Amino acid sequence: MKQNNMLAMILAGGRGSRLHDLTNKVAKPAVSYGGKYRIIDFPLSNCANSGIDVVGVLTQYESILLNSYVAAGRRWGLDAKDSGVYVLPPREKADENLNVYRGTADAISQNIDFIDSYAPEHVLILSGDHIYKMNYAKMLAEHNANNADATIAVIEVPKKEASRFGIMNTDEEGHIIEFEEKPEHPKSNLASMGIYIFNWKSLRKLLVADIKNPDSHHDFGKDIIPAMLAEQKVLYAYKFKGYWKDVGTIDSLWEANMDLLDANNALDLNDSTWKIYTEDATTLPQYIGENADIKRAFITQGCVVDGDVENSVLFTGSKVRSGAVVMDSVLMPGAVVEEGAIIHRALIAEGVHIGKNAVVGRADSENIELVAKRVKGEE
Amino acid sequence: MYSAFGIVNPSGRQFWVEGLEDYRPIGAISFMGRYRVIDFPISNLSNSGIDRIQVYIKRKPMSLTDHLGTGRHYNINSKRGRLQILFSENTAEHDIYNTDIASYIDNMESIKRMHHPYVVIAPSYMVYKADYSALIANHVESGADITMMYHSVDNAKENHLNCNVLNLNRQKGVLSIEPNHGTAKSRNIFMDTYVMKTELFIDLVQKAKAVSSMYTMADIINDSCSELDIRGVAHRGFFATITDFESYYNANMSLINIKTAMELFNEDWPIYTRTNDSCPTQYFENADVKKSVVSNGCLIEGSVENSIIGRGCVIKKDAVVKNSIVLAGAVVGEGVHVENQVVDKRAQLIHVKEVVAAPDKPGYIRREDTL
Repeated sequence: MKQNNMLAMILAGGRGSRLHDLTNKVAKPAVSYGGKYRIIDFPLSNCANSGIDVVGVLTQYESILLNSYVAAGRRWGLDAKDSGVYVLPPREKADENLNVYRGTADAISQNIDFIDSYAPEHVLILSGDHIYKMNYAKMLAEHNANNADATIAVIEVPKKEASRFGIMNTDEEGHIIEFEEKPEHPKSNLASMGIYIFNWKSLRKLLVADIKNPDSHHDFGKDIIPAMLAEQKVLYAYKFKGYWKDVGTIDSLWEANMDLLDANNALDLNDSTWKIYTEDATTLPQYIGENADIKRAFITQGCVVDGDVENSVLFTGSKVRSGAVVMDSVLMPGAVVEEGAIIHRALIAEGVHIGKNAVVGRADSENIELVAKRVKGEE
Repeated sequence: MYSAFGIVNPSGRQFWVEGLEDYRPIGAISFMGRYRVIDFPISNLSNSGIDRIQVYIKRKPMSLTDHLGTGRHYNINSKRGRLQILFSENTAEHDIYNTDIASYIDNMESIKRMHHPYVVIAPSYMVYKADYSALIANHVESGADITMMYHSVDNAKENHLNCNVLNLNRQKGVLSIEPNHGTAKSRNIFMDTYVMKTELFIDLVQKAKAVSSMYTMADIINDSCSELDIRGVAHRGFFATITDFESYYNANMSLINIKTAMELFNEDWPIYTRTNDSCPTQYFENADVKKSVVSNGCLIEGSVENSIIGRGCVIKKDAVVKNSIVLAGAVVGEGVHVENQVVDKRAQLIHVKEVVAAPDKPGYIRREDTL
């Protein structure tokens, strides 16, 4: 807590039900992305790189894997003295029954005691399921310079898509004057990224009041931010420029992976000054066979490629046998494409086998095909 | 499970990997792109349940200590286990006094503090997979004083030169130990890997010291063949000795064949190394990669054939890398043709367009050099 007196809380309880079979047994923040990462590696690495030492991770939906994954704070360098990643699922308390987290704000409210134990000046609220790189220390500096009660990170979105987001209307200095959740006629294109810095004392008061409010959804966007505006608190928008993606659907998860194939992609995972840390895989390097033909691909260690791979992302330990063709597709960890199989515009889930000469997906399909079960080929 | 500690030894003065070894000991040399040679013996020990490990260093400690760190990445128990780096200060680079015995004498206090009844000694310049817990069990069961691992080869005339050879009787008893001078094809190459009681080990170190300041452990064991029960145990699977530039090059190249690699790598027997948190490798539109082993963090626009590419290398457009080993962070510039080379870390091959050596005599490009 010494570095900047800010504690981070990552909301990681969501299912992400539009990711279908990918989130049957894991929460969305634990979904694999970008060859070797899980989505939650991004906020966790951002915290570590921003000098935040204590991170609480609020888990709820299918949390077994996520709990053990984030608890190894060492992976992100969050394991020094007075540093750590704390897994915070709902819990029973001496004077209260076990309650599920009813909303984003409620998840924080139920952990007021945890945050109090560190007595931070600021609390940073993050989403566990967004892909982006951001220096929260810069945002905090702006928050302090503005003497704000809360600062909300925003990103410019295309005007026609603005009605899908929570939109911030600001004055010229970035002072937030109005917040509209998914407005039909948006007045601005500044979308909330779900990243908030609050002064802990003022947030704490609002949360205590929110718990008791029977009409509240216990949600930051719907309840806490409007309440702060109603109380004429000082709220600022922090403009973020760069790559940011909320992968809600199979198509958008596929697209976020495809974004990495662009040499100048804004996420730039190769930047050695802002690395994204993840679990260390003890696998071989990539083995590229003599029949391989690889063009525009993002491939990680443990992969064995002896077929054609074009415009695709291959995750840890996935295999493409000789004569197989993988086009415009994503192979998640351990997926195997047997000899002669042809895959177009598909996302092959973890460990799934595509049998010999099987054909999956179509080059001209509108949507991406999710393959979560073994596809039998010729025996 | 018998309780043993491990010793990982540097090579003796008879071995020198030209070029690469100017910067670091053999154990710290990059292997197969993402590993260092020493990852193999330490992973073998760790996977065998041995988590008190002494690594001896005689020269150029920086690269190796940097790589080993606390040893946490070798999956050794963080409380009961320990990876200890022991530096031997009294031995100069090519000095005749530069023996394993000298290093043990220098660190005798640390050895005597080990409460484990057995010791397993392994070299940091050989690459193989072996389960030492089976070796120890075999040793205890046989009642031998010393058990030594060997690998039978039929190419000893040109390979494994100056490595020790075990002469065995029919019952695998060790009759004598002698250096391989390339006089016969079939030989039992001693893997510089042995197990014995810690007590006997200390005793032999002191005996060797008393006999000659130039004596090695192998020398004193050779002298003891008639008094002690010394047995050989054969090793099967992939085996390489990294004792000179050529053997380094050949060992790497042979593992490009995935069938050969599967003899060394096994999911149940992970080889640990220090992570670098590099992102996956990017293959661009004009990339043409065949029959190669590629590490993470590379940007590949050119063609790569029959080569090993280390972490974070850049292969530019129209560049050709063939039959080469490119170490981490090297850059092969646009249109540059590299063939039959070992390119050391962070070298920049950008101005000269042809960097080609003869196939039977691979070349070496110095670390951080610009061509």
